[in-house]
Formats: sequence, C-alpha cells, structure tokens
Amino acid sequence: MRLLIVEDEPDMLDTLAEAMRGEGYAVDEAADGDDGLFKALEVDYDLIISDVMMPVHDGFELLRRLRQVKKTPFLLLTARSKVQDRIQGLDAGADDYLAKPVDLNELAARVRALIRRAHGNATPVITIGDVEIDTAAQTVKVAGQPVSLRGREYALLEFCVQHQGKIITRTQLYEHLHDENDTPISNLVDVHVFNLRKKLGQDFIVTHRGRGYSIGS
Amino acid sequence: MKWLPNSIRWRIQLWHGLLLLLVLGVFGVTAWRLQYNNEIRFLDGRLHLLLAELHVGLAQGGDAESPPEPQDDVALLLGLSFPDLPAISPRRTSAIPSFPHYHRIWWRDGMVKESFGAVPAGLTRPPNKGSVEQRTHEGFREVYQFTPPGECLLVGVPESVIDAQMRAFAAQVAGVCAVVFVFGMMGGWWMASRAIAPIRDISEAAQRISGGHLKERIPVAETESELGQLAGLLNDTFTRLDATFEQQARFTSDAAHELRTPISIILAQTQLALAKPRTTEAHVKTIEMTRRSAQRMQELIESLLTLAKADADAEPQREPVQLDALGRENLDQIRPLAEEKQITLHDHLTPATCRANAGHVTQILTNLLGNAVKYCRPGDEVRISTHRQNGHAVLTIADTGPGIPAEHLPHLFERFYRAESSRNRTTGGAGLGLAICKTLVEALGGRIIVESSLHTGTTFQVTLPA
Repeated sequence: MRLLIVEDEPDMLDTLAEAMRGEGYAVDEAADGDDGLFKALEVDYDLIISDVMMPVHDGFELLRRLRQVKKTPFLLLTARSKVQDRIQGLDAGADDYLAKPVDLNELAARVRALIRRAHGNATPVITIGDVEIDTAAQTVKVAGQPVSLRGREYALLEFCVQHQGKIITRTQLYEHLHDENDTPISNLVDVHVFNLRKKLGQDFIVTHRGRGYSIGS
Repeated sequence: MKWLPNSIRWRIQLWHGLLLLLVLGVFGVTAWRLQYNNEIRFLDGRLHLLLAELHVGLAQGGDAESPPEPQDDVALLLGLSFPDLPAISPRRTSAIPSFPHYHRIWWRDGMVKESFGAVPAGLTRPPNKGSVEQRTHEGFREVYQFTPPGECLLVGVPESVIDAQMRAFAAQVAGVCAVVFVFGMMGGWWMASRAIAPIRDISEAAQRISGGHLKERIPVAETESELGQLAGLLNDTFTRLDATFEQQARFTSDAAHELRTPISIILAQTQLALAKPRTTEAHVKTIEMTRRSAQRMQELIESLLTLAKADADAEPQREPVQLDALGRENLDQIRPLAEEKQITLHDHLTPATCRANAGHVTQILTNLLGNAVKYCRPGDEVRISTHRQNGHAVLTIADTGPGIPAEHLPHLFERFYRAESSRNRTTGGAGLGLAICKTLVEALGGRIIVESSLHTGTTFQVTLPA
C-alpha cells in the first residue's frame, strides 16, 4: 500500500511519514498543495492524508481538483476542528476527517479502514481458502497456524488480497510497494512471491504469464 | 417627565390630543361668542323696533289700546319735537309672543312716568348720552333714548330669553367638537403608527442582528428620509462590527491553529518514540523536534502577548527617542548573524529624534532587521538609514534580497499572513512579526510602508512623529 502525505509543517510531515512507514506503508511526502496535487495525479495512491491550511492550494482545493479526476481515498487532517470545517471537508469529497492533535493509533486505524472500504471489504479479517489475513493486526494464519511474514511480503500479500480476483501487474506492485525514494529492483517482486508461496502454499498466488499475479477466484 | 408613558407613540398621541383639545376649545369659544353676539344683535333689533314704537306712540299721544298709525318720518320727527306732550298712560308696546319685554318712561326730572311689563326692581334712569343707546345691565338687555325734551324711554328684556338657543347651539358645537376630536385622535393614532412603523422595523432588525445574525442588514426603503439615513448608519455600524468580530474570530482561530501545530508534533513524536524500542538517533531526533516545537510555542506566545499589550495600550508612554542611536544598537546586535550569513550591513544614520516608546521602537527595529537578514541570501546587502523630514523621524531598512511578490504586498501586515509559499525551519514563524510592527508603529502615531520588487529587494519605511 502506498500513501501520500501532504503537510506544510516539516516536523509534522516527518512524524506522520515515520509513523505510517512504521505501519508498513510506502509513503510519499509533499510539502504544499501544489506538490501534493502533482503527485496525487501522477501516482495511483491507495490513500492520501492531507493537511487543510497549506500554501498554494489548501487541502479543500487540492481535494476538489483531485476529485475531478480520481476517487483516491482521502483523509483530511487539520488543526481546524469546528463542526463547520468537518462538514465542509466531508462535503468537498473527503472520506474521513481527523483533527489535530492526532493520536497515531487512531490515524493508523482510520487509514486501514479507508483502504479496506475502498476495496469493498467490510471487516479487517479476510479469508481465502485456509489462509486468514488480519489487516488490522497485520498477521497471517494458514489453517489456524500463525505464519511470520516480512514487511514487504506482508505488504505484497495485503495488496493482492485487497484486490482479490483481479490480475495485478508487476508495475502495479512496484508502484504500490515502494515510495518515491526507493529504487526497486524488479526481481525483488519475484523473490517476495517465491517466499509467500513457500509460506502459504504453492497455488495461493497464481501467475498469469506476461500479465501479472492474482489471488483468489 | 416620569408620568409620561415610555412609548413614543403614546407620547405623540398625548401631545396630539392636547393640541387638538386646545384648537377645538378656541374654536368652540369663538363660535359661542359669535353666536351670542348674533343673538344679542337680534334682541337689539327687536328692542329698537319696540323703542321706535314706544317713541311714536309717545309722540302721537294716541290711545294705548290701538297700535300706532303708520306715518312718514318727517311727521314723526316733527311730532317728536313738540316740547310738552300731554301725559297719557299707560302706553303699550306691541306684544311679541315669548318675548317678555318691559318698558319704562321717565319724566325729565327723573320721576317714573309709566312702566310696562316685568320691570326689574331697582331699575334707575340711565345717564343721558344723547342718542339711542343699548346696554347689558344686571342680566337684562336694554335699549334707551332721551327725547329732546328730556324724557327717557327704555325698553328691556331679560337676557335669559336667548338661553335656550345658546344652550342648543353649545350642544351642537360640543357634538361637532367631540366628533372631530374622536376622528382626530384616530387619525393621529394611525399617523403615529405609520410614522413609528419603520422605527419598529429598524429596532426589530437591529435586535435580530445584535442577537447574533451579524450578516443580516436592516432593509432600507427610502435612503433620503431621516429614518433611511438612520438605518444606513446602523447598517454601516453593523458592517464594521461584523468585520471586527470576524477579524477577532479569525485571529483566535489562527492563534489556536498556530499553537495546535507544535502541540500535535510533540504529541505524535512522543507517541511514536514510546511505541517501540528505537535507536538513540531516533530518540535524539524526537527530542530535537520537541524542543523546536516548544521554542515555537514560546515565540508565538511572546508575539501574542506583545500584540495583546499593544492592542490594550492605545496610548503608550512616550519620551524623546534617538532613532539613530537605537538603530545603531540594533544593527550591532544583528551583525554577528549577518556576518555568518555573509550579508553586508550598511548604515546612514543621521540624527533623528522622535517622541516614542523606546521599547516599541526597539521591537520594530529588531523585527525589520531580523526579517531582512533572515530572508537575504549570502552576498546580499541590508541598508539602514534614519533622517528627519517635515518634522518627522524616518527610518528606512532596505535590502537587496529576493523581494516579495506583488500579490502578497497588500496582506503583508495582516496577522498570521505568510508570504513564503512553504515554511521551512530557518524562516518559519507564526506570521506575526510585521503585524506587530504595524500595530506598534500605529500606536505611536506613525505609519509603516513597504516597497518591493522581485529579485531587486524590499524596503520598509517607518515614519514616526517627532
């Protein structure tokens, strides 16, 4: 999963990015509305977290412009917490609204919920065959037995599970598992797929030659 | 006038009623007088006729029983001129129905010659004035005449005979006055209502607006009328109040936002640091961020306090301040920082004294010089100069820095306004420095202006009264 955080306060941006990376997301950063809009249009993020009061375009403006093109899940994060502000934010097309100061655990939970809902999953636990993925606790069980996955392995698995039934291209996987500062080496994806098959069963991830991978029916 | 009701409408009605009563009273009395005079003239007419009849009868010396024969005037006059007339008695005046007249004739020596009718007791001969006279005497209307020989003829009637007519007339006048009064009062009530209606509208609208709907305005139908002007005036006041409230609300919300940001950083960073074991470097970073945030809050609180003090203290204490000396002092203070950033400082400080508050002036100098050094790039120059001009002390701080885009200039002195497109750790501030400068300069009765063009530099000029 790859997120974009738009925040004009450098320390706040650092903190949020660090917290979200700690949750296993690939995180891109933007310091103002203009930069944020450019990146949001350029990359298909799984979620955007944006401040409201920013130079150039404020959060509302960024959201309005983005909504003309994309339906990316959008979480407004702001120091303005009046009911009127929240209504304005949600009516502008935001999917959620969180007031500063923010509790990082709550933020992480909301991020998970927004991503889950964007893919039509109502609960955090997704079961495919005998593999059970808890997206809240970020744990995986095979036939009731916990399996330990590395960060990137879990990220790849969750991305595929959230898009279950669809073929995911390698490009998509690169885009959603790495942030703008990573230099992904293409065969790392193959390594992660190989490791996941070893841990979850050979048939769990299906390879579609020349097109990509898929999980589930 | 405590006893007057408080409602303007009632007061108008009361005054209107009093005035109407006065007018009607004057009208009634006048009409009554005129009618009375009329009636008296009518009485006099009859009495004159009766007097003439009596006179003629006296001259003819005819039988009292038979009415006097008509004769021509000459004969009458001739007849009258006879000196001694035989005594005949009692002569009659013609009876008129419901006209209870009386008459009396006196001899030349004042003895009563004859009386007729209900002559009032104590009637004496009137003084001789030589012609036909009329008088009102103790409730009786009388007409009398002296004949050339000296006899006195008097015909009279009690005035009470016109009482009935006068009463009827008075009743009529009173009736008309009452009707006019009632309609007048109703008309007055209606007029007062009409006159007051817009005032009530205005007061209701004003009440609604002051009750919190500051965006509403009083509808102004006729802008030229006095009430229209009042409504316009009130609307202007509400507009200004609204702007002030809005400014205040924005200021508070901006201040809260500015304070909440560092608090958010501290809370999030500490939460992150405590969540799981981390490296020492990560902890150091957290502590650095926390310290920076606390520092920022402290600076913000200082700035807010300065502004609050300046806002509260409209008349700061003033003493003669050597602008050039203070300028040099501040320049020396900032020199190490400027040298570190490789910025050249120039000064052209000619003596200039202003009546100001030294603390305020120092704060202004610190902010302006600090800004200049903060935004200049290495190699840039900052120039400070002071001079006297038209009885004012002028301070100029010019730099060759990056300049300020024109669209920001009108807002530059607004509180919490930031010109830079993105804040960074070296130039970051709450956006209050220039707002503080402007507030302090204006508290001192001076003014501050800015000129700037991109890539050429920025010049601030402060003019203070000497």
